[in-house]
Amino acid sequence: MTFRKALAVAAVALAAAACGPKEKAIKIAVAVPLTGDMGTEGQGLRRAVELAVEEANAAKRFPFKLVAAPYDDRADPKEAVNVANLITSDPNVIAVVGHYNSGCATPAAKVYARAPVAMVSPAATNPEVTAQQDSKDWMGPRVVFRVVPTDDVQGSYAAMFAAKKLGKKRMALLHDKSPYGQGLAEEFKKGFVAGGGKIVSEDGISVGDKDFKALLTKIKSDPSKPEGVYFGGLYTEAGLLLKQMRELGLKDPFAFISGDGSMTFGLFDVAGDAADGAYLSIVGVPADELPSAKKFVDDYKARFPNDERKPFDHFGYEAANIIMAAMERAGGPDRAKVIEELRKTKHEGVLGTTVFDGKGDTTSKIVTMTRAVAKKRAFDSVR
Amino acid sequence: MLIQQLVNGLTLGAIYSLIALGYTLVYGILTMINFAHSEVLMLGAFMALGLAALLPAVFGTGLVGLAGMFVLSMAGAGLINVIIERFAYRPLRHISRLAPLISAIGVSIILQNGVFIWISTQSLRFPEPVAIDQVNVLGATISSLQIIILAAALLLMGILHFFVEHTKLGKAMRACSDDIQTAGLMGINPDYIIALTFFVGGALGGAAGVLYGMNYGSIKYNLGFLPGAKAFTAAVLGGIGNIRGAVLGGFILGFLEVLASGYIPNGAQWRDVIAFTVLIIVLLVRPSGLLGEKIAEKV
Repeated sequence: MTFRKALAVAAVALAAAACGPKEKAIKIAVAVPLTGDMGTEGQGLRRAVELAVEEANAAKRFPFKLVAAPYDDRADPKEAVNVANLITSDPNVIAVVGHYNSGCATPAAKVYARAPVAMVSPAATNPEVTAQQDSKDWMGPRVVFRVVPTDDVQGSYAAMFAAKKLGKKRMALLHDKSPYGQGLAEEFKKGFVAGGGKIVSEDGISVGDKDFKALLTKIKSDPSKPEGVYFGGLYTEAGLLLKQMRELGLKDPFAFISGDGSMTFGLFDVAGDAADGAYLSIVGVPADELPSAKKFVDDYKARFPNDERKPFDHFGYEAANIIMAAMERAGGPDRAKVIEELRKTKHEGVLGTTVFDGKGDTTSKIVTMTRAVAKKRAFDSVR
Repeated sequence: MLIQQLVNGLTLGAIYSLIALGYTLVYGILTMINFAHSEVLMLGAFMALGLAALLPAVFGTGLVGLAGMFVLSMAGAGLINVIIERFAYRPLRHISRLAPLISAIGVSIILQNGVFIWISTQSLRFPEPVAIDQVNVLGATISSLQIIILAAALLLMGILHFFVEHTKLGKAMRACSDDIQTAGLMGINPDYIIALTFFVGGALGGAAGVLYGMNYGSIKYNLGFLPGAKAFTAAVLGGIGNIRGAVLGGFILGFLEVLASGYIPNGAQWRDVIAFTVLIIVLLVRPSGLLGEKIAEKV
């Protein structure tokens, strides 16, 4: 076949596809990074929502078919806004599970508010994501909900952990200047200073930087002798920091503490054995340790036997179930009614009881501290 | 702390220098910037990753396996660069100076997205080539990896120097760099020499990619962008088209970055600003870079 012929055939095929029967199913959008560094996390969330939707379809909870419609925001705020516009322009989308990153959720929420479409985030932890709805120029109703506790809870928990459990008095602070990373680091600082500790240095790095040796050398030879590093950021940079720290001889008892953005299996791909002993906090409780999540863990394993379950998947599953419950109470796929019903949520599920406060945040404020074990590729809870 | 920082700067500078050599060689001969060079180095790292899985069966582990992986990745990266030249630059060589430049950017995007789609969008673990030991020298911690990186980079630079200055092919390269048309009239096949230059430049880029992977322990489809941009800067800083200039520029940039993040409060945020400010100042004072571009003598 010549190139021209192939082109003509392709064009006809495209036209045929465009004229095919319209998708009638009601959609729950999953707006998460499906490619790029955070892609594995997003893929995990997509699977979790799919599982929830399939269960609802199998149980015939609704008189129509429900699908999970994935949208890739590539963990990029600009792309998140594009995706949000796509989602709001599709009348079949009833609500959104997403976004993964706070940096994406914040601008995307503005788009959802104008529609309005409800957004239930399974992972964005920056307080601003819900707090921005109080600003004067907020156009639309409150549409943001989230099933994860926020960074102020996570940061101050890590600070308390560093001071009380590890007995640290002087810490160095690092963050990646993102809304998530910097927010987390600032909450840590507040908590640590309030507890009588001292932050000896504060440095920002850039997402995408690879070489932190110079910075770590500075921290290592700091005359005020920091006893550890708190890092607000994501796993790629956390992994490189860990690897280069170990190469410079910064090992136990010199602590590395970070948040849930670093707590993912990708950390082991970047840092290798150097990840060992890193302390990482995660909001909520890991699914494996939640009795209420037992069924979810088993079902997930049965449905996706070849995929590793990611740390946020149970939040994604819960977010989808909360949306479906709201739709049930609303009596059908009506975007505005779903938002109203979401406000009144009192959901018994995988995470226990979820209730949203006035801002849309979950009233649950549990944070768990974990420790990385490279050999097992696991994060063990520290009690 | 200063000694430790100098060691950090040396490793960083060695990698920058190797990449900068690729830019400078190509510029020296064609006066064009090969913007696909950063992707050649990325592909070098990916080939090394693939070979690391295959080679132990052939060469065994240890230094022989490492050298095998190194040489094959270099050859592969060099070949890719030759292919890029053949299909994306040569047909455009006589049209204008802008066309191959744009085509280079296109190739760069194709290669990056190709790896993104076909291989992985995520960071892949790069195997540790040797067990990492630490040596303490004057209070500085130097890892065996840093020594390997520095030694490999210096060795390659030495070989390149010998090749360009003391072999017949090197002489032909220099002749083409001086005046490609006249060199053609003197019995040198310019196409062949250009392909050779791309091979050598690509091989050095590939080597830098492998060293880069070893140094940071993980590789990703877009790893070439930042070091590529930095090394391009280094080549310009030292005087693009000048081999010694590229090496000098690479080390200067490495030291600048390390000293900026080590000694300026919150310098890690500012190091790129500082490095590029220095570049602008140098170019304002000495537009041809520190060691200057060779100016053809016109008679």
